Amino acid sequence: MTTKINIGPIHPSTHGVLRLVVELDGDTIVGVEPHIGFLHRGVEKLAENRMYMQNIGYMEKIDYVAPMAYDDAYVAAVEEAMGVEVKERAKYIRTILLELQRIASHLLWLGTMSNDLGQFYTLFMWTFRDRDKILRLLQEHAGARMFYLNMRPGGVVRDLPPDFEENTLQVLDYIEKRITEYEHYLESNQVFIERTKGIGVLSREMAIELGATGPVLRGSGVNYDTRSNKPYYAYSELGFRPQVMFVGDSFARYKVRMLEMKESIRIIREAFKKIPEGDAVGMPIRLIMPQAKNRIVTVSRETPRGEAFIYMIADKERPYRLSIRTPSFINLSLIDEIAKGSRLADLFAILGSLDLVMADVDL
Amino acid sequence: MLTFSTSAIANWLVSLLSSASIVKQAEGLAAYAIGVAILIMAFAYFLGWIERKIIAKVQARHGPTVVGKYGLLQNLADFMKLLAKSNFFPKSSDKLLFAVALPAMLALSIFLILLLPLTPSTGIGNMANGLLIVFALFAFMPLLIFINGIASGNKFGEISAQRSVIMMMSYEIPMLIVIASIGMLARSYDLVNIVESQAHIWYIFLMPLGFFVFFVAMLAELERSPFDLREADSELIAGWLTDVSAPYYTLALFLDYTKMFLGSLIVVILFFGGWSGYGLLPVFWLVVKALIFAIFVMLLRATAVRMKLDRLLRLGWLALMPLALINLIVAYLLFVM
Amino acid sequence: MKIERGKLIETLKELKGKGYKYLVKIAGVDNISSISVLYFVRDIDNNKEEVVEVELDPNDTALPSVEEVYKAADWYERTLYEMFGIEIKGRQIRRLLLEKWNGKGAPLRKNFEWGAPYETKQSKKAMA
Repeated sequence: MTTKINIGPIHPSTHGVLRLVVELDGDTIVGVEPHIGFLHRGVEKLAENRMYMQNIGYMEKIDYVAPMAYDDAYVAAVEEAMGVEVKERAKYIRTILLELQRIASHLLWLGTMSNDLGQFYTLFMWTFRDRDKILRLLQEHAGARMFYLNMRPGGVVRDLPPDFEENTLQVLDYIEKRITEYEHYLESNQVFIERTKGIGVLSREMAIELGATGPVLRGSGVNYDTRSNKPYYAYSELGFRPQVMFVGDSFARYKVRMLEMKESIRIIREAFKKIPEGDAVGMPIRLIMPQAKNRIVTVSRETPRGEAFIYMIADKERPYRLSIRTPSFINLSLIDEIAKGSRLADLFAILGSLDLVMADVDL
Repeated sequence: MLTFSTSAIANWLVSLLSSASIVKQAEGLAAYAIGVAILIMAFAYFLGWIERKIIAKVQARHGPTVVGKYGLLQNLADFMKLLAKSNFFPKSSDKLLFAVALPAMLALSIFLILLLPLTPSTGIGNMANGLLIVFALFAFMPLLIFINGIASGNKFGEISAQRSVIMMMSYEIPMLIVIASIGMLARSYDLVNIVESQAHIWYIFLMPLGFFVFFVAMLAELERSPFDLREADSELIAGWLTDVSAPYYTLALFLDYTKMFLGSLIVVILFFGGWSGYGLLPVFWLVVKALIFAIFVMLLRATAVRMKLDRLLRLGWLALMPLALINLIVAYLLFVM
Repeated sequence: MKIERGKLIETLKELKGKGYKYLVKIAGVDNISSISVLYFVRDIDNNKEEVVEVELDPNDTALPSVEEVYKAADWYERTLYEMFGIEIKGRQIRRLLLEKWNGKGAPLRKNFEWGAPYETKQSKKAMA
């Protein structure tokens, strides 16, 4: 005899508006059905009626935790449509900024996931304090803490401020110490280990079959990362290594993200050593009318949540069609397969380890 | 607030039949009870302030600082705001039970604190079975939570109510076994005697295992982290408190700290020597020790990860029970020697 | 590669057999005289991508469901159904993103009426 529980759109633990209809048999989950669409803003339709530079604002708000990733993905699509090459120094600057954004996003994920597991906001407050330092850095470059709008076709909006390198390296040292501390704190806690090991297993075949992406895919043993399989910007020169774990449970996904944070710190340090001098400023706004060198454009970027895939048909003034595949969308559809057979209390640990942002899901 | 325990009732009836100054006695008792009840509520309020400040400092922030000096009046402001809101019972709830459960819990907690001897000469009646009576009444708490959860009429409340009964079954038994061993060590169940027999050495040093078992069981009964399954914040919204509207929620918040005060007092009386200590008033020592214990419990809340139900049950039956039984054997050996 | 809708499932099965096991996206495009549906598939081990395009007549949009070939197609087909009005045959399809909306037409088509008034449960109550 199964009962259906509605874990409704407003809930302290679903990272936004998500409605889950969970079918329970006692305490065991038999099926999960997500109902989404509460945050659907119609970005794909709106983009067809706006000019290219007006669209950047919409793209950033798709993922409000790591906005620069979508900013960058869209501007890369525009660049490819126009046939513009990114300047050398700007490649390194974009790499540095994107990796900083990734660390900030994973810190937020760590806080909210431990919050879901019942840790009473302590780790959440600490990771937000660390994330704040990174946002400060990004503010010095872009002028804003959240919606940066700092990518332009061909480069970035302005060069890095003069003391950016010194500040960043200081912040990275601090964050590296903190990440080690958080790892030690969580992994020596028996309760945390029991609540994540063996919970929510996604096998390698199912991960590929169901289309998982990002740390969810890499946590199940698939060595696929857009930064190494389809390298862009300076990743191949900096020797980027994807982090893969082979078990596929929540602990593996957690560990992949912690390792990714450490890898990002390493990449940023390498990038500062190798960054070339020169001009990094991209084309100013009023020149953005693609001469349509390529009409049909495909771009893949690795956002902190997974791979964002943009397919754009570029007209002269506005995109004829902008089709975006967001990682959280397809990661959420895995929840039925992953959560079958676990208990109700595990559902939130699993949702936390998938790292969903609802705006990313609803597009 | 004039309720009596059985032996006190017996004493009172006897004195009623044998003397004419009943009115004076009843008045004195009532004055004591009301005075101490007010002090208890003030102390629970103070505990609430301490908890907010301590958890805030652990989380690298300040806590309440604006309302009143050091934020002392913050809880008062919260309570006033909550009491001013309107009350309604959900349509699918059992209104009578819902309305009665929370006030009954608060009354029970305050009554239990009144029963405990706060100084060598008080406590309502000198009860020869004080320990047993306190724990018999203490076992009502999870049942009242169960009633509240079932009466609230929504699925989250029911799940939470089931969990509270399951937890109570698992954790009451080790607690009672430890109490039996304390009774053996002190050779009586009278709380005053238990405290006085710790004058040479506190029971925590004689029975550290028993303290550990009792501490874990008390945490589970008080529904504090890491055992706060019953109102698992991020899972069941608020469990049995989901449909409780604002004025009753005040009682629930207050109840949390009153129960913590009660638990700390019990632990201090049983294991840390109650009011023993040099110099100042005995009641001061009792309260200070209870405060230190309560602060430790709050730090635990700030840093622990919530356990799952099956792990909790395994802990109760497979870990605490055997340890409590071992402790009982050790206490028996100490008793015999 | 451009194929007809009759050969869709065969082609996809063939591609899956060749190693293209990962479905990236099913996108729909409204060219005014026709509607194209594109299936992006990827070979993870060898890092190759392939696009399969099906062109449909706007008045006769019915596609077989490819869920039996790629399980990831479920949610993509649901958005195709609600955004372009493409019928997916072979299984029960429910809307994904616009559950409560009951307006007319398919949002992502070029002939969609912007700003057309529509009813919701609340507005029906208000009007009544």
